[in-house]
Amino acid sequence: MDNMNLLGLLFRIFIFPGFFFLLIAALFLHWLDRKLIARFQGRIGPPWYQPLADLVKLFAKEDILPSGTNLFFAALLPLISFASVLTASFYLPIAIQSAPSFQGDFIVLMFLLSLPSLMYFLAGWVTQGVYSVIGGNRSLLQYFSYEVLFLLAMSGTAIASGSWSLADIRLAQIKESPYIFPQIVGFLFSLAGLIGKLKREPYDIPKAKSEVIAGALTEFSGKKLALWYLTIQLQTVVGLSFLIHCFFSGFWQMSTFSGFIVFLLLLVILQGMLSAISAIYARLRIDQLVYLNWYIFIPLTLLHNVYILLK
Amino acid sequence: MSRITVPIGPQHPLLKEPLSFLVSLEGEKVMDSTLRLGYVHRGIEKLAEQRTYIQNVYLIERICGICSHIHSTTYCQSVEALLKLEVPKRGLYIRMLLCELERIHSHLLWLGVLAKNIGLNTLFMYAWRDREIVLNIMEEISGGRVSHAVNIIGGVRVDLNDKHLSLLQEGLRELTIRVEEILRAIESDRSFRARTRKIGYLSLEDIKRYCVVGPVARASGLDIDIRRDAPYAAYNELSFEVPLMTEGDVWARSILRILETIQAIRLCTQIIHNLPDGPVSVSAPRKVPSGEVVSRAEAPRGEVFYYLRSDGSQKPARLKVRTPTLTTLITLPGQLKNMQLADVSAVIAGVDLCIACGDR
Repeated sequence: MDNMNLLGLLFRIFIFPGFFFLLIAALFLHWLDRKLIARFQGRIGPPWYQPLADLVKLFAKEDILPSGTNLFFAALLPLISFASVLTASFYLPIAIQSAPSFQGDFIVLMFLLSLPSLMYFLAGWVTQGVYSVIGGNRSLLQYFSYEVLFLLAMSGTAIASGSWSLADIRLAQIKESPYIFPQIVGFLFSLAGLIGKLKREPYDIPKAKSEVIAGALTEFSGKKLALWYLTIQLQTVVGLSFLIHCFFSGFWQMSTFSGFIVFLLLLVILQGMLSAISAIYARLRIDQLVYLNWYIFIPLTLLHNVYILLK
Repeated sequence: MSRITVPIGPQHPLLKEPLSFLVSLEGEKVMDSTLRLGYVHRGIEKLAEQRTYIQNVYLIERICGICSHIHSTTYCQSVEALLKLEVPKRGLYIRMLLCELERIHSHLLWLGVLAKNIGLNTLFMYAWRDREIVLNIMEEISGGRVSHAVNIIGGVRVDLNDKHLSLLQEGLRELTIRVEEILRAIESDRSFRARTRKIGYLSLEDIKRYCVVGPVARASGLDIDIRRDAPYAAYNELSFEVPLMTEGDVWARSILRILETIQAIRLCTQIIHNLPDGPVSVSAPRKVPSGEVVSRAEAPRGEVFYYLRSDGSQKPARLKVRTPTLTTLITLPGQLKNMQLADVSAVIAGVDLCIACGDR
């Protein structure tokens, strides 16, 4: 590998569309989310630098864990989830950059995006608090319903393109049309699955404040908590980019400026949808969530996939 | 299956006031719960015996931070009854006005707390935003947002002028629109219904057995309201309805409280339209003749009961306060049994506890 290539690679990893861009996008989307929800609720909302200020403050705070906690695992779990989300971002053609693609990277991405939820569950066990354990258990219960929904709904695009490769999914969309039109149902269910993944309202059962304080993260503080928050914010960007890639990427040609603008616009619009859903619905109960997912959403998604297969 | 014991309180995001629940869970199901009270016990009944009747007005108002005015009203009524004082009509009307404004404020506050507890933050923000209208009116009238210090023995301290009346009319008109909008939203919202229907059920027999009063009793079909059944102040001169529901769950309590808020707004409008002229208070002697008296009033949470005994001195010999919260609290462990942990917050919010009232 010559020097230029190495520089280019480093640029890709750290600046664009790597860590730096992701961080900016994550903080921006988080701010947008808070601002939008605040406006929906008749409040003013935070200034633009608030998410960054929160993060800096948390990183500077003292890091306390209850005695008896396995410190090694307590530090490892947020790192693993952070790393898995970042790794996921390299397989995903975020912001119109091309990414190395191979047969099956769709599944790898799914796996990498679901790792943080598992780590979240383990975090509940490691920190040993009552609220943490219940929060962790609930996240696992929830995991088995939304993860299946997310995979099924997203795989509609893979079925339609006949390939488990992200690059092929995009190529098929350019050839035919963006999947958002024929697969609008799949898109909506994917969004529901993503809301579960991000533990946003109305799927915020694992961290329901009035029941289990902050769920599995109750005992975390300082740097580790900051890392958890950052992970969830990055997961929002990566998850939404995944959705955009699978359903909308037929809208632009590779590496054009207008494509980049369209991508950013879509990111903002989808975040707006997430915020609106958060503001509208009350938190579901765990049995209502499982019922909704297994009796209504998943059968509908299956039917939808069968329809795509037969078409 | 092994049980986990989850402490809810004395410090918990679910509770706005200190109260301790130990909920024992099997999975997500509540098997048992124990209740501990007394975190905000201040010994107010004993303190009242060491202060003069006039000083007590100040003390009694501190029993509760939400329904402070109804406590001082009931107390003043009992002292006035012993003194055989005739409070001027205008004074009574201003007292009633504050009572009804307080009811609106208390019910909207409660709605916000319930919405927050079931994860419906938008409703929480809306309810508390609309509550500001009432708080501003009360601040304009009395100088205080929650503790008004309006009552004195023999009448009220403040009088309403034209500025207050126009502010009231404008505020109440705005509030009617907002509250009716909230009612529509709640009646039609599916996620709100899903989280509040068929939980925290209390039958009419339970209500009677535990002597539950107020909106919780009325939501289960018990038709009681002190304002109508044993009118105090000048409630017999006003016309109003007492909303009644029979479902007996958290949803019914929510709808009922909003209907009551609408009635309270109507009562306020009636009061400012029929406001009599004249003085607002009469002067009261410092010494109270010996005797005993019972005074009752309808607080936002139900019947407040005061027993006062005087031995002819400047200080009461005994003051007993019974607030509606205590009976409601006793029903809670029964309501919580066999319930999901997620519903605990909705049920506890649904009965509208005022721990400071209950502990005193």
